[in-house]
Amino acid sequence: MSHVLRAARVLPIFVLVLAACAPATAPAGGNAPTASAPTATEIKVGAVLPLTGAFSASGNYFQQAYQLATDEVNGAGGLDVGGKKLQVTLKILDDGSDTTKSRSLVEQLATQEKVNFLLGGYDTTLVQAQQGVPDQYKIPMVEGGGAASAIFTRGNKYLFGTLATIDDLGNITMDFLKYWEDQGKLPKPLKIALAWENTDHGKDYQAAVNKAAKDDPGHFQVVLDQSFDLNGSDFTPLLTQVKAANADAFLSDAHLPDFITMHRQYTQLGLKHKFVSYGARGPDQKGREALAAAADYLVAGLWWTPALTDAGSKKFTDTWKAKFNVTPDWFQALGYDTARVLYAGITKAGTLNGDEVRTALAGLEFTGALVPGNKISFDATGKPKTSFVMTQNLPNNDVAIVWPSSIDGSKPAVVPMPGTS
Amino acid sequence: MYEPSAIAGLVVTAVLTAGLYALMSYGLALVYGVMKIINLAHAGTMMLSAFVVLELNHRFHLDPILGAAVSAALFLGIGMLLYVLAVRRVIGAPPIASLLLLFGVWLCAQNAAYFFWGSEDQSIVTAYTLATIPLGGVPVPVVRLIPFLASLVALGVLSWFLRSTDLGKAIRAVSQNSTAARLAGIRAERVGTIAFGIGSSLSAFAGGLLTLLFSFNPDFGHTLQLKSFAIIVLGGLESFPGVALGAVVLAAIESFSILIPGWRGSLVNLLAFSLLVAALVLLPGGIASLLERRGKTE
Repeated sequence: MSHVLRAARVLPIFVLVLAACAPATAPAGGNAPTASAPTATEIKVGAVLPLTGAFSASGNYFQQAYQLATDEVNGAGGLDVGGKKLQVTLKILDDGSDTTKSRSLVEQLATQEKVNFLLGGYDTTLVQAQQGVPDQYKIPMVEGGGAASAIFTRGNKYLFGTLATIDDLGNITMDFLKYWEDQGKLPKPLKIALAWENTDHGKDYQAAVNKAAKDDPGHFQVVLDQSFDLNGSDFTPLLTQVKAANADAFLSDAHLPDFITMHRQYTQLGLKHKFVSYGARGPDQKGREALAAAADYLVAGLWWTPALTDAGSKKFTDTWKAKFNVTPDWFQALGYDTARVLYAGITKAGTLNGDEVRTALAGLEFTGALVPGNKISFDATGKPKTSFVMTQNLPNNDVAIVWPSSIDGSKPAVVPMPGTS
Repeated sequence: MYEPSAIAGLVVTAVLTAGLYALMSYGLALVYGVMKIINLAHAGTMMLSAFVVLELNHRFHLDPILGAAVSAALFLGIGMLLYVLAVRRVIGAPPIASLLLLFGVWLCAQNAAYFFWGSEDQSIVTAYTLATIPLGGVPVPVVRLIPFLASLVALGVLSWFLRSTDLGKAIRAVSQNSTAARLAGIRAERVGTIAFGIGSSLSAFAGGLLTLLFSFNPDFGHTLQLKSFAIIVLGGLESFPGVALGAVVLAAIESFSILIPGWRGSLVNLLAFSLLVAALVLLPGGIASLLERRGKTE
């Protein structure tokens, strides 16, 4: 009985402690608007981002990018809507990297803040949590933080993505490999050991690689197709399978922590392949610091890189460096493009009517984008018709653009990896 | 088909992984043994210790092995303070009170880490990060060998400490029967304070050494903590040799799972948690009780 009484005394204290320690949901952004209905002089744009919690680093990059694009519009006198210049007010809420909270906060933006339009969150899981709300309230949303193709299979009409999906990362990687096989630099057919994380992200990659192998057995042969869990503690058994598969190429789709652990163990086991790629991982500064020379010559597919030399990318990189004193990564570039695409859609529609802006976005061809090809448009599902740029890590922390060859500044890749021919 | 060298490699992997798992489970077992509470803050301690080691490395260029030792000493004090301020108030209360308390401590630690270090992945690189030592044709990574050796040393020191010192005997006495220990004049509260400090110190030491192997962020330690639960349940909750054996069983199952035809690597955590459920249902006293029963029969 005394135990029960003691517990009864103690529990409320710790419930309070738990409440105090939970990530706060705080409004952010420099232009927090009042809760009043939109007036003819402003456009209310809302976004829910992970400003705290597991994805806070990327969430803050997106916040800065949304704000930069908005400040540029407002600095030019406002957004042109049917010949009238309207100021854009940006309301950003923090979901603490929590999926449940993310969805309810987007609903809050729609119902209480009465926003006209929405910008999406980051990453895939949070975008998937948010994605039902735009259709529910008929408020167009443009997102640049979700890369799984599953996002665009749910029949949403008011959701548009700017981030090329991971199946396309698999596709461009296979195109790249095919080119080098045809150049005689890689064996034909190329024997591939494939390892993918067990998420929508990884499944997209696996599907693309397997489809290429099925469609073109003369070029590709998948000799190992193995999955792994996120945040693995030991990849040695998986890498033992990779070794036993006797493949020419090792393809893996992994998030940063797993990429670091896996490639450290790959190197420790003395594995060597003629071609190695960890999907979108490779040139990340954290990865290069953690792997040092072991990260040299890895090839990655990226949505954007500061190594791009087109005028728009150069200007963006310079602007970002001047404003924030850091070199931008793809997060910032995609956040910036995402906000600009929404604003271009509103201008094209010439109205703040959600249905009409949705229609305008569906038919939009946004030029001047930072993404490779400098254009963003959408297919019927809202999936972007954009692509990746492939980079290769070079010694001395250098990064080269190696594919597509049509991109300014592209150089031939070092294939096969040194020491494997 | 796997060559003999690949199978030998798997054996080495299993042994090294077992050392790693055992090292991160000793602290949990000690705290449960003495206080009969599950230290849900274990992962938080490992994570904070990883950041302490990172700071020591960045600011003073301290090697992570030394950093882990410094962090272990630091968390001995922090653990004792936490016990005095909070944990002792829920000793003897229904388990939910200590679970909630220590879960709250974990959340506080996580949020504090997000506040101070942000969410980006951190890692420490040393001159031996990618180095290996050949062992019968199998390359043994130095960074995996270190936690393994540390685990053996920790097992030896803990066994000696509990068997041969007055404080160790007092800890064992409280662990076996707290009331009887009090009647015999042992200050159970003081013993509990020290034991919680040592448990936290062991967790911190493990967390510090894990920086040799993994990148980390404030979310670090979730899966490892769940594996530790499986290991101490399998090992018998209070027995250090049992914990070491539990770690060997889990590591061996994980490593050799690839030999199962059609095996999916993403099912590896399913194995650990199935083992936890199976041990709770079929072997509630763990491997230690099995060995004890066998010893009595013989």
